[in-house]
Amino acid sequence: MELIFGLFAGLAAGSVFALLGAGLVIAYRGSGVINFAHGSVAAYAAFTWDELRDMPGETGIGNEGGSIYLPWFDPIPEWGFLKALHINNLPVEIHIMTDPPAWLAMIITLAMSAFIGLLMHFLVFRPLRNSPMLAKVVGSVGIMLYLQAVALLNFGAANRADDGFWVFNSTSEPIANFIGMDDKNLPRSTPYLALAAIIIGAAAWAIYRYTRFGLATRAADENEKGATLLGYSPQFLAGLNWVISSVLAGLAGVIFLHKTMPNQLNLYVVSALAAALVGGLTSIPGAILGGLGLGAFASMGVSATSYSWWPEWLPVDGVRAFAPVLVVILVLYFRGHKLPIRGTVGLGRQPRAPATKHPMVGVGVGVAIALVMSNIFISKWESTLTMTLVAILAMLSLVVLLGFLGQISLVQWTLAGVSSFVLIRLASDGTKVRPMDFFVVWGPDLPDPIAALGGVIAAVLLGLLIGIPALRIRGVQLAVVTLAAIVAIEDLLMRNRPLMGTAAHTMNPTPKPKWFGQYVGALDEQSNQTDYWKYTVFAIIVVALAGIFVVNLRRGIIGRRFLAIRSNERAAAAAGVNVARTKMLGFGVSSFLAGLAGMLVAYKMPMVTSEFFSPFVGLAMIAFVYLGGITTVWGAVLGGMLVGGGLLSEFGSLHFEGITQAYINAVGGIGLVVNAVLTSGEGISLTITNQAKALVATMRGTTPNEGEKEEVVSTEEVNV
Amino acid sequence: MSSLLETTGLTVTFGGLNANDNVDIEITKGSFVGLIGPNGAGKTTFIDAITGFVPTSAGSAIFDGHDLSELKPHERAQLGLVRTFQSLELFEDLSVRDNLLVAAHPTTWYTLALDVFRLRQSNEEIEERIDWALEVAGLTGLEEELPTDLPHGQRKLVGVARALAAQPNLVLLDEPAAGLDTAESNALGGHLRGLLDHDVTVFLIDHDMGLVLSVCDFIYVMDFGKIIASGTPEEVRSNPEVIAAYLGEEAGEVQARSAEELRGISDTAGE
Repeated sequence: MELIFGLFAGLAAGSVFALLGAGLVIAYRGSGVINFAHGSVAAYAAFTWDELRDMPGETGIGNEGGSIYLPWFDPIPEWGFLKALHINNLPVEIHIMTDPPAWLAMIITLAMSAFIGLLMHFLVFRPLRNSPMLAKVVGSVGIMLYLQAVALLNFGAANRADDGFWVFNSTSEPIANFIGMDDKNLPRSTPYLALAAIIIGAAAWAIYRYTRFGLATRAADENEKGATLLGYSPQFLAGLNWVISSVLAGLAGVIFLHKTMPNQLNLYVVSALAAALVGGLTSIPGAILGGLGLGAFASMGVSATSYSWWPEWLPVDGVRAFAPVLVVILVLYFRGHKLPIRGTVGLGRQPRAPATKHPMVGVGVGVAIALVMSNIFISKWESTLTMTLVAILAMLSLVVLLGFLGQISLVQWTLAGVSSFVLIRLASDGTKVRPMDFFVVWGPDLPDPIAALGGVIAAVLLGLLIGIPALRIRGVQLAVVTLAAIVAIEDLLMRNRPLMGTAAHTMNPTPKPKWFGQYVGALDEQSNQTDYWKYTVFAIIVVALAGIFVVNLRRGIIGRRFLAIRSNERAAAAAGVNVARTKMLGFGVSSFLAGLAGMLVAYKMPMVTSEFFSPFVGLAMIAFVYLGGITTVWGAVLGGMLVGGGLLSEFGSLHFEGITQAYINAVGGIGLVVNAVLTSGEGISLTITNQAKALVATMRGTTPNEGEKEEVVSTEEVNV
Repeated sequence: MSSLLETTGLTVTFGGLNANDNVDIEITKGSFVGLIGPNGAGKTTFIDAITGFVPTSAGSAIFDGHDLSELKPHERAQLGLVRTFQSLELFEDLSVRDNLLVAAHPTTWYTLALDVFRLRQSNEEIEERIDWALEVAGLTGLEEELPTDLPHGQRKLVGVARALAAQPNLVLLDEPAAGLDTAESNALGGHLRGLLDHDVTVFLIDHDMGLVLSVCDFIYVMDFGKIIASGTPEEVRSNPEVIAAYLGEEAGEVQARSAEELRGISDTAGE
């Protein structure tokens, strides 16, 4: 009976997966893009609705109510002389009216969603229409990061408790005594949500099935010329589909608001992707049924955890998060290669990955600068410097996997978290490490290099496990699988208290690390005050070795084979390369580096939380390493300085008030999109090298090199 | 002369259609064997089947004493059974030289460690083989170019050179001369003949009938997935069934034509 109730209760979440999934299908058919930012559009709409409906005096940033916040942020920091110049800042907040009626708020919210859809079309996906699939994925991840950060800037981090409209709010009388079960109350909104999903889905299906516009979209899906024959411009169709898709997302965000916090909607895209995949990414009814089914399935799993036989080490949240992963993997497995994702045949031209010729010079200079900084600056900068080092190491792992091997895995930062948590678990001994700790963690009290090794091994094993689907699943599909894996690992492994210790869900106290008698932690062993010197030297050594490791990897036989697989798997196999084994090697190496990054985090902080390893920090890492240059070690160094808490961004926040992590992430999201559009994903480091070479060539009177020519061409295409 | 590759009753089925139907082909060590046939005859499918890129539904293939049926494509390549592709399939982000190096370097389980600690000395033998492969393909001097910067014909030759760099016993060439002009095609033919002196057996598919007839010792003719004729170039040239397959006329109605004429026709068919 519990399971049957779970089935019905799950239809609520299922209806949102269904609506979001249908939106993903529409966007995919309209322009061939899998929109990772779809959940973030829903979240922005949910915030917008809530902000409009806020009563004066309520909590939250916009406690006036009745205002809308445009989907951008004030780009000019409030800093001394800029203020004095009276530069007109970009308007963000627009007051509509106090306490607008629900129908008006709804119209405004959906208009906001449509506006975001248009912006995505014109600023991102239209310029990227002829770009490789990879660039489109990166672009949509950039939007996800951007929208999430802008929502944080404009609406704050506070939870929203506002009720939705009509039956879609938490104050409606629940359906008591549901299917004869005395103690179960089904929220009244649940059947309405399911009904809404079905009706809206049916309407959308009918529009695409029976109208001329729908016919043209389907024709354009097959062949762009098909739409032209019906008298539609393919780009007009794509834009209109983006609007419809985003409006559906907004609708889903609003009617589900009473069930969740808007920020959670960002990651609902995972379940929505699972739903859309059930529909083969092309069928709206398939996505609706898939979404409802997934919701019911996950909810039944959650109900099952209440049985006495359910193992304790499988927590409720983990089960809920694992359901979409299971669906994604099963669907991709059974559909095999036939899954109609465009561009899986060839990902197109990839960013160049030149080998570094004299790495020791760079490493020497870098280490020298880092040592000088750690010695002469105040401890604020030591913290920043070490954060930069951690980020560089994490990004080196991305350079190997995404840059060299071409496998779009979004999960590496999460693996760093697993390594960190396993290390803490293995090194703990059940006593209080520091007086300020809230929790004690039980563990086998392993000496430190061994505990760290355990953490790294855990990351490598998990990385290899995630690599297995990559043997069959490529490109964009792999990005989908790994995004789902992030959520599952976080809830199933990291926050799993039976596995990771009593503090896994909150502040996990880190042990005091000693390597061969030498203390290497960032907090003084006795006083527990920050004392970075030893840790900084340790981190510099680890990161420098990792940098040399990656440079040499690229220059060696294996690195060349990675690039060969990135370029063409068939040809690699024909040339005698064991593609499966080489890919696994890449996942292993990358996860090893990520695991080391996790170790550095555990040694740096007094306590570690799973928030530090949240999906959005991981996506920001990917954004900034793409911006720096995904194919070079220098790209990772540059990215590590740009990322929130890194040297350049801290330097920025020192000189410009109001630069927060969210601000940096928003800029990173924009950077990711701009990079994808303008430099075909090569990033700052290669662009600078190109410009320098071109400059030298011009001064010598010869023609610039090929890379330079191509860049000019791609920029022109964008302008047209 | 011992047999290097022997297929018996090899059949490849695509949804009820036999793309290869009971194909028996024998390639002896040190020979230069050609396979010709009209477009869609199943020639490339045959190479795909031998090299493991499409599954076979019946029949067997023995290469140098190894049963190929259980081997993956890269394992077949490591045995010395190396192919080129009709549709380029190069590593476009890698220089010509790196393209060849991917195929030339063997790896072991500790290769990664050697790479990372830069413990390997340069390998004379591999350098020599690469220089030789570049020379055969006529690419000497273009090592540092990216394949995308080369004209189409030369890109084809990068594929040939890459196959040769893999130290093949048998190299299966899928239309290497497509896109080359007559002079280049002739030069390639001469270079390919020279492979026999390096213990490389060659199996050639091409639309350039002049090339095939002039360089091959033995020729198979395929149509609708079946081998319809085989023999020396002279025998094939005068075989009425072959002529019919190319011209689409009843066998025997047409006089045997010269190789030059056939070539002109097949060129048109190739486009």
